[in-house]
Amino acid sequence: MAWVTGDVIITLVVAHLLASIAAAEVRNLKLSNGFLCVQSLLLSAIIASFAVISQNPTLYWWAGTTVLTKAILLPWILYHYMRRLPQVEVKPLVGFAASLIFLLIFLTAFYRFVHTYVDFIAPTTEALVEPARSNLAIAFSIFALGLYVVMARRDAVKIIIGLILLENGVHLSLVTLAPTMPETTVFGITSNVIVAAYLLLYLTEQIYQQFGTMDTLQLSSLKR
Amino acid sequence: MDTQPIIQVESILAVLVFLVPLAFSLVIFLFGRISRVLREGAAFVGIFFTFLISVLIAQRILRGEVLTFWGMNFYVDGLSALMEILGSFVGVIVILYSLSYVVHNPRLGNLPERRLRIYYGLILLFLSMMNLTCATNSIIMLFVSLEATTLATAFLVTFYWNRDSLEAGYKYLLLVTVGVTFALLGLVLLYSASIPYLPRSRVLLLTELGRIASKIPGNIVLLASALIIAGFGTKAGLVPFHAWLPDAHAEAPIPVSALLSGIVIKVGAYALARTITIFSPSFPAVVLFVAVLCSVSMLVGMMMALVQDDIKRMLAYSSISQIAYVVEGLGLGTYLGVYGGLFHLMNHTILKALLFLTAGALMWATGMRKISELASQRRRMPVTAFCFFVGALGISGVPPFNGFLSKFTIFLALAERGLLWAAVIAVITGFLSIACFGRAAYQIFWTAPPDATEANPGVVILEVPPTMWTGMIILAGVSILLGLYPQLVHPVLDRATNIILRLLSGP
Repeated sequence: MAWVTGDVIITLVVAHLLASIAAAEVRNLKLSNGFLCVQSLLLSAIIASFAVISQNPTLYWWAGTTVLTKAILLPWILYHYMRRLPQVEVKPLVGFAASLIFLLIFLTAFYRFVHTYVDFIAPTTEALVEPARSNLAIAFSIFALGLYVVMARRDAVKIIIGLILLENGVHLSLVTLAPTMPETTVFGITSNVIVAAYLLLYLTEQIYQQFGTMDTLQLSSLKR
Repeated sequence: MDTQPIIQVESILAVLVFLVPLAFSLVIFLFGRISRVLREGAAFVGIFFTFLISVLIAQRILRGEVLTFWGMNFYVDGLSALMEILGSFVGVIVILYSLSYVVHNPRLGNLPERRLRIYYGLILLFLSMMNLTCATNSIIMLFVSLEATTLATAFLVTFYWNRDSLEAGYKYLLLVTVGVTFALLGLVLLYSASIPYLPRSRVLLLTELGRIASKIPGNIVLLASALIIAGFGTKAGLVPFHAWLPDAHAEAPIPVSALLSGIVIKVGAYALARTITIFSPSFPAVVLFVAVLCSVSMLVGMMMALVQDDIKRMLAYSSISQIAYVVEGLGLGTYLGVYGGLFHLMNHTILKALLFLTAGALMWATGMRKISELASQRRRMPVTAFCFFVGALGISGVPPFNGFLSKFTIFLALAERGLLWAAVIAVITGFLSIACFGRAAYQIFWTAPPDATEANPGVVILEVPPTMWTGMIILAGVSILLGLYPQLVHPVLDRATNIILRLLSGP
């Protein structure tokens, strides 16, 4: 597998970021779910490529479980609930074009910032060289993107997608920061986010039945 | 500092403490439908066994042992034992109280069997996950089990399944999960920073973190600490990460509120003690950051508590203020600070559980939860009144109650570390909480009901059943006992404090 080089990883990582932005920005929830699936598949491909480059067999296990849990199980759960909920997300406060332009500017700046100051967060010298450096910068950018979706969106399902993006960002950073972590621990982290997403979707469906809306801004019967 | 050597003993007790409640919760989920014995009975027996196991653990810890299992993967020391014993103690009382409050509550009517099964199953599952959080020695498993405590309690918050509780449950689950993900990122940074200094098999261990704390580059420690404080601070309910707390505490059934306020937010404080306290000796900036955050939390929390009319929301905001005392003490990293923090953690668990259960007794008897409405009721509830006064005086730090002793220790510790301004804010908050609880106690119990004339005697509301007041009396008794004889718990607290300080200097 000599064709797997640093450049391949960087290409995958950039595609991963674009898929994340698409999952965050697309208004049709099923399409957004599809992009989330693609994003997770790319995540798994990145992990596998790192496994090839660093000759680390544990990472193959990571890649395999990522496909099973994040690219198959999680989108399936989302799809299962989306069939019973509105297909298009509640109109966000920030319009489509404005949000996209803001994200592109913000993420580029954030990426440049992290990429420049990677030595501030990365303790090992391996993390300072490409492709690990770009990988770490993208991982933090996806974390920031997920946080933006959680905070700026009104649609309950979209917020859950934001939460998944947030966690995928951490997962991507794990590959660079802690590649020796045992598979069981990584599985623990992943299963947590799946259970959290499942419970949140279940509550969202119940809220939709009782409130008739998925708009979190209207969930304000409790005073501050 | 205590110089008694620590003997590491391999013991199955270290894992039984979370496996037993886990097994009983499975029994309730699977067979709870068959009969009440397999539901309420199993819940009580399971939690009682867990309590006995944690007492056994505490006995061994006091003999100078530390229990480990599966190599060093599970590690139960004085701090873990303290949390486990408190958790299962409150658990026993909460399960007993639920028999009347949830199962035989005339205001709730006959609940479907499935809801009760889930209720008891989840309480035991939560306690199991909490004990796992305290028993695990792995940096990442700390996050996994801590998040599992959130997942287990989410459907307890939504127990009533109405609009308000669903909203509170959604907020609780989402905000705490997002917050704790920040902590995960911080923990991963620490993990990766410690890789170069430790053999591969020991990198994940929390007990190794203290040994290498001074070797990790300062910028990584600061970034990771900020992320971890934001993350576990969300779980603990510190301002500005507290948005979930008042809603979740107020909308959950009373026994669950007592559990949330007594134990769930303490798990966040425990995780902070295991991770952040380690860095306080070498990094004064971390101490300052924690002190500023906690000072803001205690003031904002208490001021919000002062203006609440809903008794549950008042208690919830007061929890934000009190947990800030705990975290501030733990963050100092000195003997006095950690001792005071742990003592206040213990006292707040007992007192806030007591206050929530008394508030529940008032709500059970009257069906009201507004302080102004409760004032206009004719009641004959001497036990509830007594317990509320004990709780109110204790939590506002009036001598000779236990809350005074722990708060005073924290004041001294702050002054000792040179943070006089923080000590002043803590004292001011103490006075504010006297005002807050004094007002509530006065309005509820001392104002004369308006229509208490002979011509119109009205309905006199009577005391709650013994299954409810037994737990309240036990908690009130423990609270008074600790105020008069604090030396009773000194060995446990001293052991737990020394464990943390030993971690600071490396094992």
